[in-house]
Parts: sequence; structure tokens; C-alpha cells
Amino acid sequence: MAREFEISRIIQFIRRDITLSRGGIITSMLVAGILLFLLCLVNMAWDKKLSSDEFLGSFALCFFPLGILYTFAICREFHNPKLNHAYLSLPISNYERVVGKWLNGYLLYTLVFSFLSVSVGLFAMIVGISILGADFTITSFFSWDYWKVIGLYFFIQSTFMVGALSFAKNRIGKTLLVLGVLFIGFLLFNFISFGILNHDFGIFTGESSGSEAFDRASQDFSLIGKWFYGLIFGPLMLLVAYLKMTEKEV
Amino acid sequence: MDFDNSKPIYLQIAEFFYENILEKRWKEEERIPSVREVAMLVEVNPNTAIRAFNHLQDLEVIYNKRGIGYFVAEDGYARVMEIKRKEFMEHTLPDVFRKMNMMNIPLEEVINAFNEEKNEKE
Amino acid sequence: MLDFKQLQFHYPNGRPILKSVSLTLHSGSIYGLFGKNGEGKSTLMKLVCGLLTPKFGYCTLNGESTHKRNVQTLKDMFFIPEDFELPALPIATYEKINSVFYPNFSRERFYDLIEEFGLHPKQEISKLSFGQKKKVLIAFGLAANTPLLLMDEPTNGLDIPSKSQFRKILASFINEDKCIIISTHQVRDLHSLIDHVVILDNAQVVFDKSLADVSNALWFGRPSKENESQVLFTESTFGGRAILARGNQEESEVDLELLFNGVLTHPTEINSYLKK
Repeated sequence: MAREFEISRIIQFIRRDITLSRGGIITSMLVAGILLFLLCLVNMAWDKKLSSDEFLGSFALCFFPLGILYTFAICREFHNPKLNHAYLSLPISNYERVVGKWLNGYLLYTLVFSFLSVSVGLFAMIVGISILGADFTITSFFSWDYWKVIGLYFFIQSTFMVGALSFAKNRIGKTLLVLGVLFIGFLLFNFISFGILNHDFGIFTGESSGSEAFDRASQDFSLIGKWFYGLIFGPLMLLVAYLKMTEKEV
Repeated sequence: MDFDNSKPIYLQIAEFFYENILEKRWKEEERIPSVREVAMLVEVNPNTAIRAFNHLQDLEVIYNKRGIGYFVAEDGYARVMEIKRKEFMEHTLPDVFRKMNMMNIPLEEVINAFNEEKNEKE
Repeated sequence: MLDFKQLQFHYPNGRPILKSVSLTLHSGSIYGLFGKNGEGKSTLMKLVCGLLTPKFGYCTLNGESTHKRNVQTLKDMFFIPEDFELPALPIATYEKINSVFYPNFSRERFYDLIEEFGLHPKQEISKLSFGQKKKVLIAFGLAANTPLLLMDEPTNGLDIPSKSQFRKILASFINEDKCIIISTHQVRDLHSLIDHVVILDNAQVVFDKSLADVSNALWFGRPSKENESQVLFTESTFGGRAILARGNQEESEVDLELLFNGVLTHPTEINSYLKK
């Protein structure tokens, strides 16, 4: 019997996915690189330096949308009625499929895009210093906030992967819609729990306290909240993706 | 190979063997193509080709040398001749007689036609 | 090797496509799967490949349920659907990224077949016609060397010389370890290769016999006056070909089209005759 989980097969599977969307990857990397470069230059033109926050802002602006598009691109075969016979009957287990997609869409993408961004950032700094006369400051690319962005992307990527596997048409739009509804739902949930847990403090006495509580509920993610969203929700989404993969019929 | 719809394919393959042997393309004690080669050549299922080989082996037209392949029997030519003669006498002729009977063609007319054809050829 | 047990299937809110199909298929044969349009041939193939899940009963390959899509099960089969699309890659790249998953894949065989079909490894698949794409997929499926090979209307879209090539290739491909299932309406394209017939009608298997059994028991041809009484089925009353009880007559070639029409019209008579 063949084993259901083999690293070598996952690597082959990722290689297959990359080959299939090779053209798209190269163009979008090029576009993102140029965009990032321009954003960095604009930032430098403004105050003659590229701060860590500015860089991270530009990075995130390209990193998230491109990552979402990439996740959808590697899941494209799944719903195409003319391609999914071949895709689903390829001898790869469902675990391997999900792990492969995740390693590709999250880990590999993050590594490659970070490398690209740092290269572009450095290049932009050289150009900025030599042409725009920006100050010579060395920016730390991998700040604590960078890791937060990467962490947030774990949650976003897995969610959008579920979206890519769940919807056959208008996949991005529908995922955003569901995410919006979920977000409002969570906000409401937070608001209510916040209200119930802090009821004794009399937060509902003031006139504007309702919206104030809402504000706080949306801003203040407690440590437990972070754990919930980061460490439970992400893997939960991967589990859902696995189930979607298992249940898929043509 | 074009198949005639009435005869089983394996018998049609046997006919193809007979033809090759009678026309001396396949000589006695010579190796003939393998089952798979014949199957590919005439585009049939190898199981059907095996049936043809077995049939011809039963008639002792060909024989099998284990591990080497199939060969035309020592007296293969004579055997095929005998089979074809028998077929002519037992099938073709009665059919001709039946038709002669149906159309009231006397034997003399057939003999004349036969002689005419023979003269023309000479 | 392939077993169906009381398998039932229907699409969501649809009429039953298959009701209680029980069937066993063995290696060493080329199975012809016949049925009118919409009688569940393609559905049955998708169930075999695990692309659909039975509503009741099961389909197993070497004892493993196929709908689980286990790696071993998927490694043991290859499916060539009727309608498909291939990625926009050169033929060689397509082979490279997909063949690694099939342990018995023969690259030599693949490139031989590609050449035989008049294609070149460097050709872009996106620039090929549908028939040429089909050749690429057939070449891949045959080179994958899986014990089970399923083909849905494989000769659709093939030109006349390729049909003959396809028959030759298939004749050389089949052996005791392989099982091929072909679903087709183009009976004439493949009748010399098929050695077992399965007919689906009214969402059920109405016929499942080897051609050797059929030609043993039945006779196909024009009935004469003496044996008119033995006619089991005929398409037309006047001089048409008919299915007769064979009796002591010499064996005849099975006319698959006639058999198909006969089984659809008189399934019980013909089946009961074959059981004797």
C-alpha cells in the first residue's frame, strides 16, 4: 500500500502548481515589484527616508492582494469542470493536497515575496539615496510588525483558500462577502460578550456608550482573542479546506 | 484488416494465415509473427488472436516451440491445401449446386464456361 | 479487481441514474460499456474514479472504496474523459509535471506514442486541436501503465488513420494484468477489441457477458426459411440481420449493434437464452 502522506509527493505537487501558473506568477511578481518600488520612492520623496513602518505599509498593500490572487490561482483546477477530473484523479491524498496548497500559498509565497520586497526595498533605497538625495538610514525590514503581518496572513490565506475551494463562481467576491458577514458577526459577538462581562462596570449608562463599546470591542482584541483568531481559526480553516477537498465531486 | 461481418474474427485471422502459407510468404518450418504482433497487425484483442493460433495448432498447421514462438508445420502447406479443398468441396460447391438448381443451369453449361475460361487463359 | 455492490446513484434532486448496480470486472479484458444517451455510462466511470460518491452500495478497486480517493487506488487507475481541457503547456512539460505521480509511467512509451500520433514534444498544447489533445491524453493514459484504464468515447475526435493506430496500440497494450473499460457509441471503431459487453438501460445493468459466451450461444446473420422460428430478435421483418439461437450452426461474428438493440428490446429473452 502506498502511504497517504509523502513529503516528496507534496514537493512534486507544489512544483506542478507552480509550473501551471508560471506565466501568472512572473507577471504579477513583476507588477508587484514595480508597484512596491514606486511606493517606496514616493515615501522617500516625501520625507527623505524610508521608515520601517512606511516600508511595511507598502509591503502589506502588495502582499495581501497578490497572496489572495495566488491562492485562488493555485486552486483554479478544482472547480473547472474540464480540468478537475484530471486534478482529482491525480494520485495524491487529500492531506497532501491541502498541505501542498498551504505550503505553496502561505510559506513559499511569503518567503518569495519577502525576498522580492526586501530586494526591491534595498534597490529603492539605493535609488532614493543617489537620485532623490534621501538620508542614508538603514531600515529594519523584519520588524515585529512584519511578523504580525505574516501572522495575519496565515489567517487570511487559509480563509481565502476555503473560499477558493467552496465557491465555483465569483470566488473572491463571495469570500469577501462571507468574511464581511463573519466579521460583523464577530464584532457583534465581541460587543455582546464585552457588554455582558463588563456589565457591572456600568458601561451602558452613558448616552454614547453603545458606540463606544463597539469601538472598544473592535479595537481591543484581548490575548485570548488573538489566540482564538490566530491559532485556532487558521488551522480550523485548513481543516475546513481538507473537508472541502474530501467532499468534492464533479 | 477489413472484417467480414458473418464469420468470427478468429476464423478470419486463420484465413489470413492460410493465404500467407499458400502464397509461400510464410514457408514451412519458418517462424511466424507472435500473438501480440498478429493482434496489432489486424487490430484485434490478443485473446481473439490466441483463439486463432489455438485453432490452427489444433489443425496442425502451426506448432509452438516453447519460449521461442510459433512455426509453420513441416507439412503446413499440404495441410492448408487439404483444409481449403475440403472447404471447397463441402461448402462452396454445394452452394453452387443449390444456385444452379434454383436457376435451372445445366451442368453442361457450367463445363462449357469452365473450358472457355481455361482456353482464354491459355 | 473492480467490484460494484448494489450501487445506487442520483444527482441532487435528480432521478436515479443508477439503481442497484452489481458487477465484477476482471483484469485481462477490454470491457465495452454501452447504453443510450443519459443512461449513466459516464456517471458509472466517474464513480469508479472516485469523482462521485455512491448514495448507497459501493464500488471497490482491489477491496478499497474508490470514493475515498486513496493514493494507492488513484495510482492504479487512469481516466480519459470525453470532454476535457489540458493546461497551456508544451507536451513535454505536461508529461514532466504529471508523470511523476504514476510509479509505472513509461516515458519511452509516451514519446513513442506522441511521435506515432504525429505530434512533437515541444508543441504547445494550447495550439492543438481537440483531436490532437485527445491523442496527448490517450498517450499519457497508456504510458501511465495503470492496471485499470477508463476511456469515455476515446475515438470521438480522432481522425480515420488515428482510429486504426489507436486499435493497434490498444491491442499491444492489453495483457493479463490490465483491465480496460471503454464507453462508446462508435461500436464499429472498437468492436474487434472489446471482449466483454456491459449494457446499461433504465439505470440498471441489463447485460454482462463475455463475447465468447455470446458467440457460443447466439448466431448473428440473415435467417433462412428453416430457422426462422429460432429468431430471438430482428431489426426489420424483411431480410434483415437477426439474432438466432445458435444451435448446431457454425459460429458467427457477434454483431455488437444488433446485440445492443436486441438486448434493449428483449432483455429477458436474450439473457435467459445465454444462461442455458
